[in-house]
Amino acid sequence: MANLSSYLGGQSDPRKEGLPLFGLWGQESGGNHNTNFRIFDSGFKNVGSPWGGATGTTSNYRYGIMGDASHAYSMSDHGTDFNSNHTTESYTSYTNYCKSVYQIDQYPHAFYYTASRNGHCSWQSYHQITSSFEYTVGWTKLNMVLPEGNRPRRMFCNRRNSMREKSGNNSCASIDHYDYTSHLLETTNDYATGTGYNEKTKTLVMIHSGGEGDSAAKTIHIFKSGKNLMTCKKIKEFFDELTSVEYFTDSWALPNNKNWCVVVGNNDWVGFGAKTGNTKKYCAFDCSVKGVGQNLTGASRRYLDWQDFAGSVTTSYSAENGNQYYTRFNTTWDGKWGMIFSSYYYYGPGINAFAMSLENPRKFISINQTKSAYPNPYVAWGRTGFHGGDSDNTDSTSWQTYSFSFDPTDSDHTVDTTVYMGSSSGEATVPDSNSHVGGSYTNKTGSCSLTESYTQLTGGFNSTCYPVLIGLNWWGAYGTADQSYGGQ
Amino acid sequence: MAIYYFTNAGEPCTPFEETGEDLMKKGLAIKATVPDGIEAWRLSYDTAAKAVVVYADGQDEAGALTQQQTDVAAQKVTDDAKDIADREA
Repeated sequence: MANLSSYLGGQSDPRKEGLPLFGLWGQESGGNHNTNFRIFDSGFKNVGSPWGGATGTTSNYRYGIMGDASHAYSMSDHGTDFNSNHTTESYTSYTNYCKSVYQIDQYPHAFYYTASRNGHCSWQSYHQITSSFEYTVGWTKLNMVLPEGNRPRRMFCNRRNSMREKSGNNSCASIDHYDYTSHLLETTNDYATGTGYNEKTKTLVMIHSGGEGDSAAKTIHIFKSGKNLMTCKKIKEFFDELTSVEYFTDSWALPNNKNWCVVVGNNDWVGFGAKTGNTKKYCAFDCSVKGVGQNLTGASRRYLDWQDFAGSVTTSYSAENGNQYYTRFNTTWDGKWGMIFSSYYYYGPGINAFAMSLENPRKFISINQTKSAYPNPYVAWGRTGFHGGDSDNTDSTSWQTYSFSFDPTDSDHTVDTTVYMGSSSGEATVPDSNSHVGGSYTNKTGSCSLTESYTQLTGGFNSTCYPVLIGLNWWGAYGTADQSYGGQ
Repeated sequence: MAIYYFTNAGEPCTPFEETGEDLMKKGLAIKATVPDGIEAWRLSYDTAAKAVVVYADGQDEAGALTQQQTDVAAQKVTDDAKDIADREA
């Protein structure tokens, strides 16, 4: 397999990180004092650095040493929203999404904060948030399937017929721009509304729609190149070395096309999925080379038929309610499983997700968690899992999270999918029986309802505390002292 | 009335028969009848009483949301009071 390691002559891929870390921000209910921020590895061991804060004569000023939102004139831009339950916010109430499921995806930056692995966290200013990259066009980011331990360190965006490289979650100048119109075989639909890339197969798959709104017309292009996009100095190099271009047309109706996610599997099957309003659907298509330029129908490439999300749905937002609600994509640390996910409830709690094998996107199930208050985002966890989704009060109890993981060796879509889960007691997670803890779910129509897992961690404050789960920018270089060893 | 499937913890699981019956066979779901026109987030199943519970029963969706805001605001008052009491204890 040619990946960046190969190009480096067998040296370790500098992008590769150790097993995932996460941050936990705790404080009293008003968000003004007893602030506590800790960094944990996937074994829930503390790996960050201690820090100190100083406060003024009033506890209403949070700790300036942290560079957090206390810099603002009102001193409470985000200050009293850490116990937000996400019931009353409209999509213009920027201050309340710190714990939303929309906070972070596979990219190492987060929407409302930036946090280092050493334990420095600062909230973004919300004053210009509607002009920020993530709020407005974050949905144009490519969905990446990368080798083990890699998160996308380069960010390519695709809109209309142009790909651009950006430098992170900001609205600064693009690093590169390339108009690939000349490589398209069919140009009727000229709004790129979902793009996925697989580094192993050097395959780029784009959805072009008749518009970014509710246009059903679709043209799907499949580009294969001899050049890895992630090693190109200019985007043009990928297109200059194309070895195959194919397309198919189809009609996929959704109220908003900004929600589409494209998951390019290692076996050339590609999962397309989106959530809009209370509808969420997914389907895998055979995007292997059929003959240069051949225009097969979408139906002829399809695995069975579109699958509606099989779990519980309730009123929830997606991109038509505000760009920041676009459907997201994330992968496990080992790059074996991914999920297309969105909120279960209105503005951020709960999760509606399709989880799919990245080896074979025909293997997929629904993932369901029906919280309607006190959310947290989900982040990659351990080798082949995710956790998050809960910020309930930790007063007189330990912090709980919803953890789940998959079998990294399981990519057979003809057998049920095993999901490993936790519980509220060790006696249940390592039971006095030979039973599997978790569930086994029928491919395509199965739905896994997550269960909460108790941890040994405090929320961070001895009284009322609704901890914030924080995604981190860097988990540490794999195999070095920078990494928190996770075992194997 | 409609059929709905809940998890064994009483949380909403799925409205879909194919998925729900499959989970029932595996011992992962409870089947119950629920009132029409109620958003799933308001539904739960009381496993002790073996009965469906509707949050803010009798109210429409807007009323239920208002009720939740009221409940959360009340919780905030309780939380803040407890914080102060804990600090002064």
